[in-house]
Amino acid sequence: MKRFLIGALAVLALAASMPLIFHNEYFFFAGYVVLQFIVLATAWNILGGYAGYVNFGSGAFFAVGAYTAVALYKAFALPLGLQILAGAAASGLLGFGVGMLTLRLRGIFFSIATIAVAIVLETVVLNWHYVGGAKGLPIMRPVETPFFASHTVWLFFVMAALAVLAVGAARYIETSWIGRGLRAIRDNEVAAECSGVPTLKLKLGAATLSGALMGAAGAPYAQYLSFIEPASTFSLNYAVNALAMPIIGGMGHWIGPVIGAVLLGSVQQIVTVTISSEINVLVVGVMLVVFVVAAPEGILGLFRKLFPSRKS
Amino acid sequence: MKFSRSLAGAVAALAFSVFHVAAFAQQPVKIGMSMPQTGALGAGGKAALLALQMWVEDVNAKGGLLGRKVEFIAYDDQTNPGVVPGIYTKLLDIDKVDLLIAPYGTNVTAPIMPLVKQRDLLLMGNFSFDANARIQHDKWFNNAPWGAGALAWGGTFLEAAKKLGAKTIAVMAADAEFAQNLCTGGRAIAKAMGLQSVYDQNYPPNSVDFSSIIRAVRAAKPDAVFICSYPAESVAIVRAVNEIGVGPTVKIIGGGMVGLQFTPNMEALGPLLNGFVNYNSYVPEKSMDNPAVREFLKRYEVRAKQAKVDVLGYYLPPYNYAIGQMIEQAVTATKSLDQKMLAAYLHKSEMKTIVGNIRYDAMGEWATPKLVMAQFRGIKGKDVDQFRQQGKQVIIAPAAMKTGEVVPFDKARN
Repeated sequence: MKRFLIGALAVLALAASMPLIFHNEYFFFAGYVVLQFIVLATAWNILGGYAGYVNFGSGAFFAVGAYTAVALYKAFALPLGLQILAGAAASGLLGFGVGMLTLRLRGIFFSIATIAVAIVLETVVLNWHYVGGAKGLPIMRPVETPFFASHTVWLFFVMAALAVLAVGAARYIETSWIGRGLRAIRDNEVAAECSGVPTLKLKLGAATLSGALMGAAGAPYAQYLSFIEPASTFSLNYAVNALAMPIIGGMGHWIGPVIGAVLLGSVQQIVTVTISSEINVLVVGVMLVVFVVAAPEGILGLFRKLFPSRKS
Repeated sequence: MKFSRSLAGAVAALAFSVFHVAAFAQQPVKIGMSMPQTGALGAGGKAALLALQMWVEDVNAKGGLLGRKVEFIAYDDQTNPGVVPGIYTKLLDIDKVDLLIAPYGTNVTAPIMPLVKQRDLLLMGNFSFDANARIQHDKWFNNAPWGAGALAWGGTFLEAAKKLGAKTIAVMAADAEFAQNLCTGGRAIAKAMGLQSVYDQNYPPNSVDFSSIIRAVRAAKPDAVFICSYPAESVAIVRAVNEIGVGPTVKIIGGGMVGLQFTPNMEALGPLLNGFVNYNSYVPEKSMDNPAVREFLKRYEVRAKQAKVDVLGYYLPPYNYAIGQMIEQAVTATKSLDQKMLAAYLHKSEMKTIVGNIRYDAMGEWATPKLVMAQFRGIKGKDVDQFRQQGKQVIIAPAAMKTGEVVPFDKARN
């Protein structure tokens, strides 16, 4: 734990010192996306990786966070910290609600419900004119941000802090009794229930936390883009990436989604501006197929196979 | 000794400054943009990009801008508004472009308006509609023949409807920036004209099945149907209207259907287009005949065949070439790449382009719109060459460019 805390502080210090090394705003613009995917992939892994309940609607949880933040910013000009808290609360509540309705049943019902939620919520937002509806809403960023070179640098730092928080939460869950319970659910839910694991409670807790972290990742989105509109906020790409990154990195360990997000996120950013932004979706697809076929346990699994004596 | 040192220093300074000037002279003027090359607007975007590339080749053949070659950087934005701010940040911070052109279309332009406003940059708009209405940036110059507001579209279409005796109207629009902006304006104009709304619905973007919507429109028995749609939806609507029918009451249908100007769609739909009245930027009618556009299209066609893009190129390519011409005129006149000076020049001067002389209003839109409403008539089969002939897209408005009277929908289909 101590080592993790030191590591987390080191990552935050590194993020804060980045403006001293990189003077180009685009670095922070691209870096923000990679960090955002670390949060999303880690959040997805808490339920999908540990408990085996696949969420296909990550985009909806992300968008609920984004639109909650925008609505509150427009209504009360809330600062970013409160926007993130509100976004996380709204998406956490959504996760809890969807979980309450479907997690009593085992199997695929939760996954189907997440797809349905994404479609329903996108339609709601399309017709919610206060936050721009289908037309979208431009957001003017503050011209000056105290202590930071620009607003993009500030957002980069905020997302780095959220990434550290998400990874810390995932690590805590993995190494505690909660993680053991979730893994028992994944391996055999009936056996887990018979062994006294509070399955519904754990699944609901995981769905709520997973949703809250996705919502927190979405909250600064409108300020990052200076614009928000439903089609790209509810994009299927978020769901695909949130799922692909842990699979590619390795789902069994908290570091897996981080590896997947850094690798896939960076490749996508590079491909988008060097070859074509459309190819980046292809990259995700190809890597997913390759890893599912050749390394079903992701990079971590591959690493364990290559170096069997080492613990990852 | 002292003198020789000073002389050596002076020579070195002179050599450095000469070298520096030469090096600066060889640095290209970088112009950057994102363009939808895939996705909903991909078909139009590719043709528009080709026209801009032709302008870059032409200007470089003449020696470039300010004696420097022009380097053109364009990325594909997939018609996805979410990726556009990232692309423009890269253009500015990594590629270090000198000048920006907006992507083709309103939905993909809207996300970069706050960015250019905050960085106080010149942005040449590219067929956007009211993209600057909320941001009100003073360095925005949209090259689109419709001007600000929906009057140039809705006004002419609805006047034609009135002429045909329409008293009721149905409005159907995609839930997206452009379509919503347009139909909001259209509704206001219809109300002012005293047209009674009998059907008004939005549909999700990228819908492919319009059978239930067309049935609902038919049941409402409107006299006019005003449609604000994007390319794939426009094609699906035309097909649905042909399969199901909108009913005998409908005298006029169309208005703001993006995509019916693209050659591949016109070729695919052929006679199904007959009777539809739709906006356009250029049709080969006598009143729009322009030697400069004709000459450009002749050169464009050769290139379009090689590049396998829209072979007719009426809708976007001449206007995209004109964007390049406006940049050329402003940079040459001001002898500068300073955004403030260029914007001031564009505000006060008449821009001479192949699509005509253009003046901008305070909002950065065409001061005098030249949008035409044309009715498809006598289309037979799917031969693309028929669209080069006069009389296939008859201009019914505005009066100055009119080449025929609007004909009721059912009559134009027989």
